[in-house]
Amino acid sequence: MATADIVDGGPPIIQASERRLGLPTNILTGIVLAAVGYWAGVQVGNGFALNDALNTGVLLGYTFASIMFLVGIGFANYPLARLFGWRVTSQPSGDDHAGPWRYLNLSLDHKVIGVQYLVAMLIAMLFGGIGAMLIRTSLLVPDPPIVAPDKYLTLVSMHSVMMVFVASAAIVGPFGNFFVPYMIGTNRMAFPRLEALSFWLVPPAIVILLAAPIFGGFQTGWTGYTPLAEQADQGFDSYIVGFTLIGLALIVSGVNMLTTIITLRAPGMTWTRLPIFVWGVFSASILGTFAAPILAAALAMQAMDRTIDTTFFISSAGGSPYLWENLFWFFGHPEVYIFILPAFGIVLELLPHFARKPLWGYRTAVVGLLGVTLLSWFVWQHHLFLSGIAPALRPFFMFSTEMISIPTGIVFLVAFGTLWQARISMTVPMLFCLGFLFNFLVGGLSGVFLSDVPSDVTLHGSYFSMAHFHYTIVGGEIFAIVAATYYWFPKMTGRMLNQTLGKIHFWWMMIAFNLAFMPLFAAGLLDMPRRVSTYAVNLQTLNVWVSIWAFILFASMLFFAFNIIWSWFFTFKVAPANPWQARSIEWLMPTPLPRRNFEKIPVFTSGPYDYGNPSAKPVADLGGPPDSGRMGGLGVEPAPS
Amino acid sequence: MTQRNPRVAGRLAVVVLAVAALLALLTAFSVTFVFHFPPQLTAQPTSVGNGVSIHLETVAAISDAIAFPRPEDPHPDWVSYLPTTIFKVPANSVVTISIDQEDGASGLRNPYWGTAQGIIGGKFHMSYFDDAGAPQVGDFSTIDGSTLGHSFAIPDLGVFVPLQGISDAAPAGSHNEITFSFKTGAAGIFRWQCFVPCGAGSIYGNGNAMSTFGYMHGLLIVQ
Amino acid sequence: MSSSPLRRTDRTHAVRLLVAWAVLTVIGIFIAMQVHLPPGDQSHQAGDETWLLQFMTILSVPVFVGVVLFIVYSVIAFRQKGPVLEDGPPSRGNFRIQVAWVAVTAVVVLILAIIGIDELSTTSSGTNFASSSQPALAAVGSSAGHPLRVQVIGQQWWFTYRYPDFGGVETTHLMLPVDANVEFHITSTDVLHSFWAYQLGIKADANPGADNITYVTTLHTGSFTVRCAELCGLWHGHMADTNGAVLTQDAFAAWIAQVQKDGADFNLPPYAPIYFPSPAVKGS
Repeated sequence: MATADIVDGGPPIIQASERRLGLPTNILTGIVLAAVGYWAGVQVGNGFALNDALNTGVLLGYTFASIMFLVGIGFANYPLARLFGWRVTSQPSGDDHAGPWRYLNLSLDHKVIGVQYLVAMLIAMLFGGIGAMLIRTSLLVPDPPIVAPDKYLTLVSMHSVMMVFVASAAIVGPFGNFFVPYMIGTNRMAFPRLEALSFWLVPPAIVILLAAPIFGGFQTGWTGYTPLAEQADQGFDSYIVGFTLIGLALIVSGVNMLTTIITLRAPGMTWTRLPIFVWGVFSASILGTFAAPILAAALAMQAMDRTIDTTFFISSAGGSPYLWENLFWFFGHPEVYIFILPAFGIVLELLPHFARKPLWGYRTAVVGLLGVTLLSWFVWQHHLFLSGIAPALRPFFMFSTEMISIPTGIVFLVAFGTLWQARISMTVPMLFCLGFLFNFLVGGLSGVFLSDVPSDVTLHGSYFSMAHFHYTIVGGEIFAIVAATYYWFPKMTGRMLNQTLGKIHFWWMMIAFNLAFMPLFAAGLLDMPRRVSTYAVNLQTLNVWVSIWAFILFASMLFFAFNIIWSWFFTFKVAPANPWQARSIEWLMPTPLPRRNFEKIPVFTSGPYDYGNPSAKPVADLGGPPDSGRMGGLGVEPAPS
Repeated sequence: MTQRNPRVAGRLAVVVLAVAALLALLTAFSVTFVFHFPPQLTAQPTSVGNGVSIHLETVAAISDAIAFPRPEDPHPDWVSYLPTTIFKVPANSVVTISIDQEDGASGLRNPYWGTAQGIIGGKFHMSYFDDAGAPQVGDFSTIDGSTLGHSFAIPDLGVFVPLQGISDAAPAGSHNEITFSFKTGAAGIFRWQCFVPCGAGSIYGNGNAMSTFGYMHGLLIVQ
Repeated sequence: MSSSPLRRTDRTHAVRLLVAWAVLTVIGIFIAMQVHLPPGDQSHQAGDETWLLQFMTILSVPVFVGVVLFIVYSVIAFRQKGPVLEDGPPSRGNFRIQVAWVAVTAVVVLILAIIGIDELSTTSSGTNFASSSQPALAAVGSSAGHPLRVQVIGQQWWFTYRYPDFGGVETTHLMLPVDANVEFHITSTDVLHSFWAYQLGIKADANPGADNITYVTTLHTGSFTVRCAELCGLWHGHMADTNGAVLTQDAFAAWIAQVQKDGADFNLPPYAPIYFPSPAVKGS
């Protein structure tokens, strides 16, 4: 960044002088260059292919396409300008980034990126949901197949990978990027270009994943176990490149979030005043930063096994499928806490505002979040209890897995303490938070069944474990995402979501979700394995029931989409600045939000949850300290005047 | 309010176009991929009682097919059973399958499948070419696992039949012919598959044609 | 701030909740005990797993009832009353409650872990470990002499079984004698599979190049289902066999004799803990 920007303190703006590559950099250029990149990659890859499977061409095609897309959209401009010494001015680039077009192009404004992320994640969720509906359609009858078994497994794999993309990024992406800068009192993230990059890696990942059926799809599930993955056709290259892009997005966003939260807190924003949502994002960012590189490395090994005939994972040639299992789950288990930690953050953030009480046991809650962060590194082998490795370590992994219920229990305690003697408003976000608590309770309890090795012998790899993680991710994380959407939508878009429709949506979704997924515990106990395209005839009634309620659940999400589109684009009423009468700083901002967050850097004077204390000061002094002409702050209390 | 109507119309158009595009994408995906099945083949009745017969061809590459050419197939270089892989047969009947085996030997990963099981008489009839390229005929129950070109197995009915790969010395355009019969029981839908790892280009040979329905895999619909 | 009226209502709410919790928990445990849980009692291991599942179901009742009751009670009792938003009491935490909560959850976790580890060590339920070199670690987990060895070979897409104690014959269905210690050696010739004999309460992954060992002690005759529990490709869901059975000792002897007689037809490689058929490497 030019120094002038930092003094200015507003969100960084793409500079006119950065756009001197001889071609206009925008999304259309990006798409054209991506097509060119794909073609070039295929030519190069097929030219050098060592075996006749032609994976090299597809892998290089996807890789080149992703890179060229990023170049076309404008990511190369700034580094090239610096490299060649072109003048970087602090003049705004003009009005060509105003209006909806701005949201389709590279923007360094964290508010724009938050909205871009929200829309992209909702679209990805729709694709994943359509996959789920096709799966449930196929499972209406055990035989004859409605969907051929190879196509069925491709649907399962694409649904799971798409939903893992969504679950990885759908909280930190939209809400973290949008609100963390407000909550800590800064005008921008520490690395605005990395923030934009963390978003623009996502659309290529989604498109590449959706391209898998063109090459026959892939039948490996989201775990991508070898040697099954080695057998898969070029469809599996979508998994490798798409997942790598998401992994890079996690790393980039994690580093950025950690740096921002550590270094750019405004004066008075001490660690103990940090909103609990920021703590949730912070702990998930720790995991993203350190776990996703393992995924990227493992995927690179997988790619080499497929193209240049290395044998990392092939036991008949000296490798081992156990290596992939361990690398994958060493990333994979922290990954599931990347899903849920920000969801904890959302629920604990929203509860005090709607209970109108301080967050009960704030410090304990922080310890709980960080405890989960720490423990999540020591449990990965519970996915491999029955794989035959390291029997002597199983008691340890059993114990460490069960230990996670202690910090998770703290989250429930904090929620209970906050609800106790509260003055609860049953708003739509609150309903979804309470729904989260119920669903996550079921998910957590069923997790205990899976953590004990002897009971895991019966439940492992069955529909029981499938129901378990859907309760934690759909019933948990997705409910939290929906709560956050209802809660923050008026600040993000300037429009209230319709609250009556919201209440219908809650009951619709809550009932359909539970009626769809609760019977799946029984299916697992009745020996129905996961990822099967057929099942025992006596389970048909159960499966038809599940399918019907799954369709109803999907319809509830379409209803949600209708509410979003209707309220956003077809009601023309600006939302009140603080519809929830909440204390936290984002609600002190006007609606619609000005381009620059804070004219002067705010000074935080009290915590965000100081309800019930008549003498509590507003959360921040927006007038700023006398010399507030700089970004961020050291996070220390201002000296008493 | 005066501004409102034109904006509503424009936005509505965008929404309608987006939904239409999504539905078009979904339809294309459903028709060409998700719900795509190979055609069904009803077995021909034979003169013997309740018997039916099916004539099949196995090829090293679909483009080399003789009896059942399939020029429009998207994978002309894959191995395959032809003409299709979904067969309809009556319940409680004798099904006779004869296969023109035109592919060479690939070998089994588990030599156990080199022995025929579950077929009437325990032996299959085979006309083939020996290592010198001379035509031979015989009834067999076991052949060496390394000589298998493909196999025809219906695991749930206990039917496993090895198909010997054609000798390298055989005249061009010739084939081994393997004939066997088995009994069907009650109605039901059974999968059948090849146990020979014949899908080239991937480890252990179970890629492409071996991991895609409709080439080396199919269904036996017993009605 | 925490004036005595608040303390009094605290106590009222707490007593109501505790009483309701106790009553509902008793009812819930009674209902939970009626639930018939798998995998049954066909083997010693299955019996242990059934017991553990039952135990954990009962243990989860008070937790489930407590949390749901608390949410429902809060929503009813702690609502906003009037049209004007009113704040609740500014309580920020209670050190003793927090310590007690963590202590209670820690104790429950400890109990669960101790039970799990105890099950693991005393019954060898699910005790499986891979070995790529030794054919069998005989006598592990067997008290009554040499256990019956059965090799499970996963392949795309059917399990076959070899009996090294009976000349290494191979079959397409799994038959076991009753009252026997069985030592399973599970391996694969291609991708990962997972051998799951549901009613026997065993599940263990089949890995190419590894000999995964697990034990079962059969107790009752009857049929059982074998399924594949690890995604293995196209026919993963169809890799199921309902024809497995635990036979009487005599019936098993007769069956294995017939298999040995028929086995003369088969062209089998010598029994080995793992198999690396060619081609070992792609492209070779």
